[in-house]
Amino acid sequence: MRVEALLQFALAIAFIVLWVFMPTWSISGANYSISLMPWGYVVEFFGETHVIPPPTVYAVWLFALGAGLLPLIWRRSRYSLYLAALFSVLSISMFMDTILFQQRYLQFHGYTIAPTPNGYIYVSLPTKPVLGLPTYVLLALVILSIFNMVTRARWLGAEAIEDPIVAVERVLKALHIEYSRIVGGVEVGGVRIVGQGGSLWLVRGMGETKEAIEVDLKTAIIEAVKVGLRQPVIGVVDYGED
Amino acid sequence: MVPSPLKITLLISILSIAIALILIWGTAQIAPSIIRYSTLSNAPYIKVESINVTSNGVYIRLAVINNGTPLVFRLTGGWVEVVDTGQVVNVAVIDGAVIARLPLTPQWVGLVSVGVKGIVSGVLNGSRAYIAFFDVAPIRVINKIGIADVSYADCVLNVTLSVDTVVPVVIGPIINMSLFTVSTPGYYVFETIGIVNTTVYAPAGGHNVTLTIRVSPALGRYTYVYSCNYLSGFSKYTLWLPIGVTYMYPTGNVTSYTLLTKTFVVGGGS
Repeated sequence: MRVEALLQFALAIAFIVLWVFMPTWSISGANYSISLMPWGYVVEFFGETHVIPPPTVYAVWLFALGAGLLPLIWRRSRYSLYLAALFSVLSISMFMDTILFQQRYLQFHGYTIAPTPNGYIYVSLPTKPVLGLPTYVLLALVILSIFNMVTRARWLGAEAIEDPIVAVERVLKALHIEYSRIVGGVEVGGVRIVGQGGSLWLVRGMGETKEAIEVDLKTAIIEAVKVGLRQPVIGVVDYGED
Repeated sequence: MVPSPLKITLLISILSIAIALILIWGTAQIAPSIIRYSTLSNAPYIKVESINVTSNGVYIRLAVINNGTPLVFRLTGGWVEVVDTGQVVNVAVIDGAVIARLPLTPQWVGLVSVGVKGIVSGVLNGSRAYIAFFDVAPIRVINKIGIADVSYADCVLNVTLSVDTVVPVVIGPIINMSLFTVSTPGYYVFETIGIVNTTVYAPAGGHNVTLTIRVSPALGRYTYVYSCNYLSGFSKYTLWLPIGVTYMYPTGNVTSYTLLTKTFVVGGGS
């Protein structure tokens, strides 16, 4: 599982969880306020509270959730990253549309007038629109999902070319051999290649039968490819297919 | 056959975009039925509590009704206009009471009720608020006549009256007055039965006027004078002065009878 995709998922979850506790958008004032929560607009007016749920608000977090989950569920094709990016863009579009709903139907001019038995009362209720913290997380999610789409969720690994593990990975990638990243190295079949203390270690087996030998880069690549080609080739590299 | 990722992606994209568009359209459709209209209920308002016309001026007292149930209105200022006289004045908060003080003009004397309109400003639950009002309220004319001081010597009674009236008044005549000691038993100094035609004129406003009456049998048949000075041994007396007062309103004179009394101490004793 790619760290980049996990990061995208973490941002989506962070957005939704944060949103439960603080509004993404609000119009705040002393006796009148509107807060956009995941379940709709919460309108407070002199102690009265009303919830107004425009349906688009549910799409905001459903699409965000989709944008976070899809790269984890569907890992075979890079199209899942494209779709996730589309979901994140749709999520922010629904969010904007929900704000437009407020502008259109919950328009507030900053005062209220009520009749009294012999006249009327005018109450000035100045308000200030505020964009909440979850909105910035959503924005980050959109940017990250687009970035992941462009880089095939590989921008973290691409930076460490000097690392022999990366060299091993590149060979495996080129040969479409399934491997997974583990701490300090890669795993192909039952074989792990771990970089430790400036040298490469070839680790076979687990627990009792575990054996580790120090190898050079050439040996490590040969061993990894040997094991890799032995395993059945089925939908292999994360987001590898075109 | 496993469908190609491109096909799946296109299909889901088109579907999700369609869902998004339907949601936008649907939200606009149901918007009028999900929004609610809120208005202030039981909001505070202003009533004219009383209008007192006195010789010092006209006092319009305003009351804030529904204050604190549940909205709290704290008044900070405002103005009122008396429609019938055209007077405009700012309101002031004096000891918690909201009062507008207007100068007394001649029209006031002839009015029975007036229309009062105005706007007060203040703070409603922490928000700036204005209350506009219009009320028609009855006028209460306050005329005050009392005895300020009494002296009696050599059969001459001097009564100093403090007169505080909106219109000029003629005070008199006196009917059945008496001066007696405050003691048990009480003793009369003098007593008249019948009308004593002594009158004094006082202009509108606040003044002191003096009634001087020579108490003697000459005042009438039933005048009993027991002493021409205060009785020796008694220092506390009461003057009982039933009197007629004629108010000279522009619309006509109005005469009313009132009882003025004064209990006083002479010679510093009790």
